[in-house]
Amino acid sequence: MDHRLDVSQLPPPEPLEQTLDALAELPAGDRLLLCHRRQPFPLYDLLRRMGYRWEVSGCEGDWQILIEPEDPQRLGRPLL
Amino acid sequence: MIATDGLSLDQAPPLNLPLRLFLTAPLFVIAAGLLMLTDAPSILATRWTPAAIAATHLITIGFLGSVMIGALLQMLPVLGGLPIPAVRWVGSSVHLLLASGALLLAGGFLGLGSHALAAGALASALGFGIFVTAMLAALWRGRRGAAKLGQFPLVALALLITLALGVLLTLALLGWHPLPRLLDWAQVHANWGLFGWVGLLIVTVGFQVVPLFHVTPAYPPLVTRALVPLLFLVLCAASLMPLLPPEWMARGHWLVAGLIALGFSLFAGLTLWLQAQRARGQRDATLLHWWLAMASLLAAVQAWLLQAPAELIGVLLLVGVGIGLPMGGLLLAISALWLLVLIAGAAWCYRSAMLALEQAS
Repeated sequence: MDHRLDVSQLPPPEPLEQTLDALAELPAGDRLLLCHRRQPFPLYDLLRRMGYRWEVSGCEGDWQILIEPEDPQRLGRPLL
Repeated sequence: MIATDGLSLDQAPPLNLPLRLFLTAPLFVIAAGLLMLTDAPSILATRWTPAAIAATHLITIGFLGSVMIGALLQMLPVLGGLPIPAVRWVGSSVHLLLASGALLLAGGFLGLGSHALAAGALASALGFGIFVTAMLAALWRGRRGAAKLGQFPLVALALLITLALGVLLTLALLGWHPLPRLLDWAQVHANWGLFGWVGLLIVTVGFQVVPLFHVTPAYPPLVTRALVPLLFLVLCAASLMPLLPPEWMARGHWLVAGLIALGFSLFAGLTLWLQAQRARGQRDATLLHWWLAMASLLAAVQAWLLQAPAELIGVLLLVGVGIGLPMGGLLLAISALWLLVLIAGAAWCYRSAMLALEQAS
């Protein structure tokens, strides 16, 4: 199941905070569809370290980032 | 689908690197202020006195150079996913070279002699040159990425032209290379530095950070695509002034100054209009600094229309926009953003650990 999170009208760092909150609550096997008006480059590095993979589509002003754990049956790992 | 897997912030600067540049930068403004206290009337009377030139370079190289570069070291990875290569070495070298360059150059103008002047020009040119090379390398490496940072190369080019003219002027001052119409070329150097490097950088960065930090609508695409290249072309045309007969220069200067004033007024007006439509109504410190800077910019244009002395226009641009905007509008926002990214990461770790503990129990 895909959970949609629209952070396109939030100032930094709320998009990052809300995305990390949503990922922490994401049930195993589900995916998070993040809608943002710009590419969240700092998030990508955190996602990689936390064991998530992501796909980016869209264009400037309307990006969709589909995030899921690398192992769909498990949650992402903590940063440290 | 757009591939972003190859992008990494691992090469993003450790926080202390840009903070070091930010920390020492205000010292040069203080030095310029102390210098002005010694003889303000003559410094403000004409920009060509040695003390005025020394104060200008303390601000432009020591303060603006450090702040702009410190901000870009952080901004390119955040806005475009473009980390600066060898960022620790680049940041430290640029810091050392710009700080020593600004001091030596100012000292050279204030009577420390030709060696100080030459060493100051060389150190400043090297410092900026290293940064521009690293920035262009980062932009080249990310040229196929999704980030729309297409006008940063023009900003880098404006800085390179400023540097080349600065070195040429230093050689002429030292008597190593004759340069007729020295003051006209110095004006071209100042144009590229103030309107090219500083002005175009503020416009280019503003297109990115105003909608980002203040959650405003985006700037109109036509403006984001055309304004910086058009202003760059106007500056190129302005560079031909010293080659024109003196009687044509006044008319040409008026036309070029008018186009520059029009372009930057458009940016200032649009910025204020977009900020009036921001999604949230709070007035934070960064927003007030942007308003102050844009008001200074519009006041400078008004002063030019009223044929006020160039020194007044220079102070409005250099102090109102050049110092006011980076100090509050960019430094606060960028430093705060990075700190918050770190805090958000730490909070996520804490939350993950708590969830893991709950699941375990």
